[in-house]
Amino acid sequence: MTSTTTLGPIELEVITGTIRSAELEIEAAVERTARSPMIRDQHDYRVALFDARGRKLTGRSYSALVEPVFEYFDDGDIHPGDVFFWNDPYNSCGGIGHVPDLCTTVPIFKDDRLIGFSQVFGHHDDVGGMVPGSLPVQAHDMWAEGLVIPPIKLYEKGMVNEAAFSIIERNSRLSEHLRGDLDSEIGAAVLGSRRIIAMADRYGVDALEAAYDAIIENCARTIREELLPKIEDGVYTFEDYIESDGFNIGPYAMRLTMTKTPEKLILDFAGTDPETEGPINWAIDYTEGRFVRKWMGPVLRSLAATPERAAEIDMNEGCLDVIEARFPDKGTLITPTFGRPTGQRFYLLLRSLGIFAGALSKATKGKMPADHETIRIWGVHGDDRAGEFYLFREVLGGGGPGRPWSDGSDVVHIVPNSRNLPAEFSETRYPVLVEKLGLATDSGGAGYRRGGMGYDKQIRVLSDCSLISNADRSVLQPYGVNGGMAGVHYSVSTHSDDGESKSLPGMLDQYTVEKDLVINIRTTGGGGWGDPLDREPESVRYDVLCDNVSSEAAREVYGVVLTGRAHTLAVDETATEKLRETMRSEREPLPMFDRGPSFAVLKDEGRINWPDGWADPDEGFMATGELPA
Amino acid sequence: MSELRVSVDTGGTFTDVVAVYDDGRVHAIKTPSTPGDPSAALLSGIRQVVEESGSVMPDVDIVVHGTTTATNAVLEHKFSGLGLLVTEGFRHLLEIARQSVPDGYGNSFFWVKPPRLVPLHLVREVGGRMDQTGTVLRELDEKALVESVQELVDQGVDRLGVCLIHSYVNDQHERRIAEIIGEHFPDLFLSLSAEVLPEYREYERAMTTLVDVMVKPYVRTYLGRAHEELNKEAGDTPLLLMQSNGGVVSAKAAGERPVTMLLSGPAGGVLGAVHVAEQVGLTDILTLDAGGTSTDICLVENMSPNITTQSLIEHYPVKTPMLDIATVAAGGGSIAWIGQFGSLKVGPQSVGADPGPICYGRGGTDPSVTDAAVSLGWLPAEFIGGDLVLDVESSRAAFEELGQTLELSAEEAASGVLEIAAANQVHGIRQVTTTKGRDPADYTLLAFGGSGALLAAVSADFLNIRSILVPPFPGNLSAYGLQVSDVRRDYVRTLVRLESKSDPAEIDRHWSSLEEQGRQELRDQGIAEEDWELLRVADMRYYGEAHEVRVSLPSGLSGLDAVEAMWRLFHPEHDSVYGFSYPGEQEVELVQLRVQAVGQMSRPASLRLSGSGSPEPIGSRQIYWRDLGWTETPLYDRYELPDGARAPGPAVIQEYGSTIVVPPGWDASIDEFGNVRLEATR
Repeated sequence: MTSTTTLGPIELEVITGTIRSAELEIEAAVERTARSPMIRDQHDYRVALFDARGRKLTGRSYSALVEPVFEYFDDGDIHPGDVFFWNDPYNSCGGIGHVPDLCTTVPIFKDDRLIGFSQVFGHHDDVGGMVPGSLPVQAHDMWAEGLVIPPIKLYEKGMVNEAAFSIIERNSRLSEHLRGDLDSEIGAAVLGSRRIIAMADRYGVDALEAAYDAIIENCARTIREELLPKIEDGVYTFEDYIESDGFNIGPYAMRLTMTKTPEKLILDFAGTDPETEGPINWAIDYTEGRFVRKWMGPVLRSLAATPERAAEIDMNEGCLDVIEARFPDKGTLITPTFGRPTGQRFYLLLRSLGIFAGALSKATKGKMPADHETIRIWGVHGDDRAGEFYLFREVLGGGGPGRPWSDGSDVVHIVPNSRNLPAEFSETRYPVLVEKLGLATDSGGAGYRRGGMGYDKQIRVLSDCSLISNADRSVLQPYGVNGGMAGVHYSVSTHSDDGESKSLPGMLDQYTVEKDLVINIRTTGGGGWGDPLDREPESVRYDVLCDNVSSEAAREVYGVVLTGRAHTLAVDETATEKLRETMRSEREPLPMFDRGPSFAVLKDEGRINWPDGWADPDEGFMATGELPA
Repeated sequence: MSELRVSVDTGGTFTDVVAVYDDGRVHAIKTPSTPGDPSAALLSGIRQVVEESGSVMPDVDIVVHGTTTATNAVLEHKFSGLGLLVTEGFRHLLEIARQSVPDGYGNSFFWVKPPRLVPLHLVREVGGRMDQTGTVLRELDEKALVESVQELVDQGVDRLGVCLIHSYVNDQHERRIAEIIGEHFPDLFLSLSAEVLPEYREYERAMTTLVDVMVKPYVRTYLGRAHEELNKEAGDTPLLLMQSNGGVVSAKAAGERPVTMLLSGPAGGVLGAVHVAEQVGLTDILTLDAGGTSTDICLVENMSPNITTQSLIEHYPVKTPMLDIATVAAGGGSIAWIGQFGSLKVGPQSVGADPGPICYGRGGTDPSVTDAAVSLGWLPAEFIGGDLVLDVESSRAAFEELGQTLELSAEEAASGVLEIAAANQVHGIRQVTTTKGRDPADYTLLAFGGSGALLAAVSADFLNIRSILVPPFPGNLSAYGLQVSDVRRDYVRTLVRLESKSDPAEIDRHWSSLEEQGRQELRDQGIAEEDWELLRVADMRYYGEAHEVRVSLPSGLSGLDAVEAMWRLFHPEHDSVYGFSYPGEQEVELVQLRVQAVGQMSRPASLRLSGSGSPEPIGSRQIYWRDLGWTETPLYDRYELPDGARAPGPAVIQEYGSTIVVPPGWDASIDEFGNVRLEATR
């Protein structure tokens, strides 16, 4: 095949399409060959392709970084057949957040010329540390969480580093899984690199590298020309909280000051609370925050004209052109000093998206989606019917956010294609009976577009067992936007057949549940969007018909008067209009953000305090009262 | 009198009808589909093809029908009138689905859940509960049931799905519901999950059951009418339906379980391709079936098309076994357009049949892949045997304009469109190969359909595929393929058992009972016993995995030998699918038993094309190649080329309804069956 040396629109389109389909191919290869259920079934892994400078080319998902290769290895020390490897949260330039995420990076060469990198990282079942699963709630430092590996070469010019491999394997309780996972990740990364080499063969390295520039520039242009103009210039603050660090009760605040200019967004995290004893820290203050800028950038997609358009927008290295990050000095939740534990940093990951969306809501007259909390782990373990140990563990989603274009979707998970466990599977495998797999009435935050519903899952345990719950948002609630109300918080409780019930804390380990008790898990509803009194009465009637909303809430929150029941349920238009008029005249003006009653209690108790130079970010921002066009 | 078989392939826009005589004669016509009553086009098409090929209706021996009718009903969201009964506590089954959000990380911010098949107010819970062993924990609440169904009927439900927890182990409650409904609501269409898909995983089983009952009234009515009319005109003639598993079944049986017809559209082409491959001794091929709007791709190994039970129709899972076909929106009609920041895009929109490409001169204004090929001389200005003279100048002008926007010449723009269209096909080929751990370079590409042979070699170059086969009459292969199928029915039963704790006799007993169902059905289909084949299949995994591997046992294996073979063959099969296995190290778990009942049917004569003319070019014309620029290129007439003739690239071989492009770097030759074989020369 001839190799052209200039990049035209044809080469660019084929290379862009090939990189996009290579990303899917690498993902398929990981899913096909990995061993850990966390990777194969919960889809907790990310893949990416980068150029020779470590700039991210793929755009469907966030990824780790390539910078540790440059930082730890000299220019001349990157060779065909090398496989770079690390999981060190403090020596991965901010790209890896906790030790179960093992990151594999393969350089791509066309002949002798480095033309890019292919990378896969996945959440492994076990990398040692104080508890099985390597996510201890009560870890005092990073070393309690598992084996820590700074950037090394797992292969050098195609030769395996057996010493490293055997140390890594020996440090896992599930060494077979681990070895299988690593082989899978290396194989998948190599597969991805072949697609890039094929493009270099077909069009030449110069055209390929020119295409890299264009792919990154197109992302930056999309953000700059399509999304930024929807954000008003100015300075905006927002904050949100984590309830507990496993040892102490917070709340612990992550704070953001967002400055918007015509060309840029500057994200300054000054004011974030100090680092904690327990594992909720997140070390991201490296390499100008490149990781967190690319992690947060995709939130901007919600400003696209339609959800279909939002799904099309690739977010690659081009984000960095438009988003800057600034960090406080060492010693905060997001700038922890070396060695602080980070295992449960996923609360902060979600909080960072929420505070960015909140600041954007202020800057767009409330046009952003409300808040949603979609990751928590619950489970039981004990002896099964045959007397053998079992662990039944599930990542459960929560209600999606209300947004101008739609109610929140019910029980969704932020990780794409992650699935819950069917009742028929659970009952066949574990000594449980699923009494209810439902949605929790009134869990979605009320609004013109209400939040999605959380789970109401009831599981009867058929033998004595231990309960695990790793959940934040068990007191505080996902916030509502622009007059919408907060979604209901997470809860876990046990119930006996004679009516006795016990409410339990969200972060819990080793709690014994007796045979025949029913465990009730209710996950968070999404925050609502817009004034509930503006919701179409017919939508409220339908929600009541389906038990998504109680008839009490229909009247008291939505101001809708209903008559009849079941399929004779009808809206009393006149009474509704009158009730809504009264409610409007009697209430205070609606705020831009509603964090729910439990937050108000914390505030009254004086437990929400701001550092110098900070004020309550919610203060003074009111709902616009405007409905979407 | 020679045997006459008729194939009717009903698509959304056109119905293709082919008459195949046992002396190898083939006659094909194309007629507009009639979506309101598909039986109308079916019958008028049969009449027309019979008449044009010089026969009369009573000569018709068999009609085989493939249709996208059922698929289209789902795609068009014709969900009204559907209701669902579930076990108490599971009313939100469809709302929750599997909690999964498709595609990118963080799409949960903006993604909107697609409409459910049944809105929540038309889902009713039924008291009563089984456990995973089929033991009744709570009895069925029969009284409340009648009231619930009455409420649904009052609200307009005329089709009802029933999906109770663990009904795949014990169908007693579902069967009792069917009895009660038969008594009280005899007009209600009903599908039971234990009959449609006796597999565990309640959401997927419920969805498959709902799709089944959704298309039931429609499919039954039109198939019944079509068969009645056919028998009136042609005498007692079998009407067989193509299913998504690549086998056929009687129209009556298809109406009983219409979900098996979903996505059966492209199956005929795959079967036809397998037949062609078999003739020339190829066992491993990739089928590339390219038409006007899309390209269907299927991986065939050891003469068997790959099967999947993971299909989605749009967003909706349908778990019956189907040929694993990837469809990409790339065809002759795909539109070239300018995207964001001046990028050049091809598809997914297509010019369709009306108005068609610019060069057809029927008012089309969007430049398509066909226009690009015409303007570069890849396609002739006048199709062989057609009276359609193409408007080459208008096509060229369109690329002149497109090129100006892109700062390219018309030729560069047009050849770029072909390059991009081929790259789109390449992404589809990777979906069925590299993502399954297969290297496409290990397979021969079998290219057919109206535009399959246009870009096959360009696509092959991307993938290092070095061999392509284009069968005779590539445009008719799908319809012909309907005639080289067998009766195939799938039976499944969930039986979760660990190897160490399993009872081989129990497993064999369940397999035997599935086989008995298969025998009964083959008997009902009137297949002679010597033509029966019962294949045992097991879905298995290592304990702890969430995905199963299909282990197909060699034909003829039964009894306890089959159980023993199942445990043994699992390890190598797992290795071939996932690339690792742990024989003797890790516990294996059986999840599902399957049986495929095959009733072998007689085959028509093979497609053959023997040119008796000259092996020389019939002329030449100026053709633009991306590597060479404008080049005087030899042209061949496929109907003239005899066995052994060669056409070194660059060359173009023309025939009715299709054009085979042999780019530089490829050579074409004719084999004894009249297949054109393209081989890469560099």
